[in-house]
Amino acid sequence: MGGEHELLLGGARDPDAIATRAIDDVLRIERKYSRFRDDSVVAAINRAAGGAPVAIDAETAALLGYARTCFEQSEGRFDVTAGALARAWDFGGKPTRRPVAAVLRDALAHVGFGDVEWDASHVRLPRVGMAIDFGGIGKEYAADRVATIAQEAGARHGLVNLGGDVRAWGGRPDGSAWRIGIRHPREERALASVELADGAVATSGDYERFVEIGGIRHCHIIDATTGEPVRAWQSMSVIAGLAIVAGSYSTIAMLMQDRAEAFLANAAVRWLGVDAGGAQRGSFV
Amino acid sequence: MRRLAIAMLALSCAACATMTPPKPWEKGDLARPSMTIGSDPLGDRGNAHVYESKEMTGGGGSVGGGGCGCN
Amino acid sequence: MAAIDGEVAAAQPCDAATRRSCEFARDGARLNPFLTAALLLPGVVPAAALAQSMPDQGLFSLQYLDYRDWQPGAARMTVRNPSLYVMTPFAERYTFEGSLVYDAMSGASPLWFDTLSGASGLGVTDYRTAGDAKVTRYFDRYSIGAGVAYSHERDFISRAGSLDARWWTADKNTTLAFGFAGESDYIHPSARELDNGRRHSLDFLVGITQNLSPVDIVQSNLTYATGHGYYSDPYKTLDQRPGERRVLAWQTRYNHHFTVADATLQLGYRFLADSFGGDSHTFDVAWAQALPQGFTLTPSVRYYTQGAADFWFGPPFPQGFVNGQDYTADTRLSAFGAWTAGLRLTRTFADGWRVELSGDFYRQRGDWRIFGGGSEGLLPFSARWFAASVSKTF
Repeated sequence: MGGEHELLLGGARDPDAIATRAIDDVLRIERKYSRFRDDSVVAAINRAAGGAPVAIDAETAALLGYARTCFEQSEGRFDVTAGALARAWDFGGKPTRRPVAAVLRDALAHVGFGDVEWDASHVRLPRVGMAIDFGGIGKEYAADRVATIAQEAGARHGLVNLGGDVRAWGGRPDGSAWRIGIRHPREERALASVELADGAVATSGDYERFVEIGGIRHCHIIDATTGEPVRAWQSMSVIAGLAIVAGSYSTIAMLMQDRAEAFLANAAVRWLGVDAGGAQRGSFV
Repeated sequence: MRRLAIAMLALSCAACATMTPPKPWEKGDLARPSMTIGSDPLGDRGNAHVYESKEMTGGGGSVGGGGCGCN
Repeated sequence: MAAIDGEVAAAQPCDAATRRSCEFARDGARLNPFLTAALLLPGVVPAAALAQSMPDQGLFSLQYLDYRDWQPGAARMTVRNPSLYVMTPFAERYTFEGSLVYDAMSGASPLWFDTLSGASGLGVTDYRTAGDAKVTRYFDRYSIGAGVAYSHERDFISRAGSLDARWWTADKNTTLAFGFAGESDYIHPSARELDNGRRHSLDFLVGITQNLSPVDIVQSNLTYATGHGYYSDPYKTLDQRPGERRVLAWQTRYNHHFTVADATLQLGYRFLADSFGGDSHTFDVAWAQALPQGFTLTPSVRYYTQGAADFWFGPPFPQGFVNGQDYTADTRLSAFGAWTAGLRLTRTFADGWRVELSGDFYRQRGDWRIFGGGSEGLLPFSARWFAASVSKTF
């Protein structure tokens, strides 16, 4: 999990012990679902692609269930099996041209959550080369669990920030709300700030990971139905009760491109976006 | 007295208008025993029994408990 | 949108282990599909936040109550009262609740009882045993409960049966309750034979509980009881009360949690209209202050006032008595006011144990009433009770 992480706790007798437990759980989720670790559950599922079903536990099945909701609500644009597309765009390297049509076509053939065979105890990726990646869900899920662990251990006030996805509860110990800044997508400053006692703010942006090809920015948020990076928004921030919900809305709003405003209006969440031209849309108030 | 009761009712309705019911993740405080109405059945009944036997009329909170010969 | 949400929620696998969260998510589908799906993930919200109308834990509770009262010129009365309560979920969708109470009363009854000399007797030890049992079946959006209660004293037997239903909204912020109970009592005093020592009553309840905000909850219940039969006190000379009684009670309770102080303010008000003629008002205030080490200290104050029954006559006895008309000199039916000051200390332990000590001091005076007249010259009545209880969730 990249990015900066932060955990603030208040109202507890032993904040250090609580923080240790919470951080241990974040590390547990990272170990279990990292696609970069050979011993992770995700690595085992991906290795078995095209082969036999892999036994999974209830937590993994629940994450797949959540991934299905994202897939369905985004009409296939948000897809945890979209890893092949990111490889085709080569975000790790310094590509000088966009992938040729045949490469993209081949990558798209390895994408399709709708084809994944799974139930409460097993999962099977039907084609060799298919891979799942909970990267778009796991960090926010971990943030919500930190909040739960800390609250159940007695921390009445807290704030957790895992790489820019923030979950807050109980307000600050002095009774005021937590103040959370929203990063400007192009400048090293805050675009806006939001006051939140209980809830979550998540931001997706084209600045997190991208490649520039011929002066055009191609970001890591790729529409799994077309294989093309999105361009309608520089960033999208959403307030919701849970970090995982806020995160899904912000990412899917990016993927919905020019339909984002209607999508968010329908969801009745507060949001703030910066469109491709740099204009602010939506409102946190 | 009646005016006081009406004032209390009006006050509680004014409160309804300005408050927002909690979302599922905001119910932690409501789940505390001190916030839960009826979380101490024996304590409530013990007190109710004392008052019932020393005052003209008791009850009002529930139905179906066994009566007592204390009238 | 709603149709899609319902489909998504319905498609989630719901086995027994995840039933609770599935139900919750089905209700949550109204909110949005992402929340629906997120709530199926383990640990994204505290377990308390998923609190269902169906309890997922049992509770076992033991209490010992020691009561004593006194009045100038009268001997003290003492009651020792151990009680037991158990509630347990069973067969996935049911809960059982049961309680047993035993009262051992000794010493003289308060002054008014002494109008019949020698019948109930001074220094006699009396007893009461009572028990009740109730089974509740929980459905997705409502529950139905049925209960029975039995109470037995040397000269009194009470049997009751009850039915109740609760219905709650999808977000579980509003719960409506409906209750119905029938009670049959039989009075057979040792002092004399009664022609018909029976009375029957029916109770009806409608109530609403509303979560107003994350820190405010209000409950308001309206109950109506109607009964007929023997309401007089067989131990009091000339005591003759109406053969019918109707009581309407409106009780509202409101709790507010102060997050910064980590304390809960509990307010209560009850208005009661009695066909005997004495309306009453009860006000309760308590402050439950959380302290370090799992302690909670709760001071409380209660004020009660009632008007006199239409057929109550004050001293000198038997002023106001007319043969064939309703009459009582029982001070419990006079106009008075009463204050209670209470303090309780609770300690909650991490493994579900809870220990509580409480003390209440009660005083009644005729001149503390705020309405009704004619109860001059009565002696103040005082009582105090201590309770110790231990409970455990399982």
